[in-house]
Amino acid sequence: MNKTQKSAIFCLVTFLFAVVVIAYPFISIFILKSWPESFFSRIWSMIAYFVFIAASIIFLRKKQSPNEPDFDERDDLIKKRAVIASFVSVWILLAGVTVIPRFVVGIKGSIPVWLLSFINLGVFLGALLVYSVAVLIQYGWRGKDGEG
Amino acid sequence: MAKGELNNKVRRLRFDNGEMTQQQLADATGVTRQTIIAIESGKYAPSLPLAFRIARTFGVRVEDVFQYEDEDS
Repeated sequence: MNKTQKSAIFCLVTFLFAVVVIAYPFISIFILKSWPESFFSRIWSMIAYFVFIAASIIFLRKKQSPNEPDFDERDDLIKKRAVIASFVSVWILLAGVTVIPRFVVGIKGSIPVWLLSFINLGVFLGALLVYSVAVLIQYGWRGKDGEG
Repeated sequence: MAKGELNNKVRRLRFDNGEMTQQQLADATGVTRQTIIAIESGKYAPSLPLAFRIARTFGVRVEDVFQYEDEDS
């Protein structure tokens, strides 16, 4: 795998990690109406984050060959197409989150301000997901690009 | 606009040049191994500068590596 593929996998894992980290307290506070209980102590949480970041850096920096470039012309093309797909998805998601409240709370309804932060974060994470998936699809499923 | 197909002999030339590996060719031409794999399998048409770099690595002309065939022909 080259650096662009590994970066896309890293983004995908970060997205899934962020979804879990955000969803757990959100469900706990706003649906179950109770404060979330911690899985780990503060120290173990810090260690878990550190291990995740250290493993990611090692994974991203490891090269197939010492002379391998970080990216080449094909990677540029793939990233350009993925950015376009991501950009289009931002507009679709923003249009979606603008229209959906109209049906949920009605045309004269209101939504709390804090919900806007979650909406913006959701749109950003959605765009990140589309970018990563678009990159991985272009390299071919299983990330092997027909090798082996 | 006429559509055509770009064929190449990269795999053949690699084996004719001391069984050069995809990684060795990638390092010599300044691209990743995935790009060489995509070129060999016909999934990706390289830019002209890259096509020249590949041809020079093998010591042949560009048209000895890449052949363009029109659908009409």
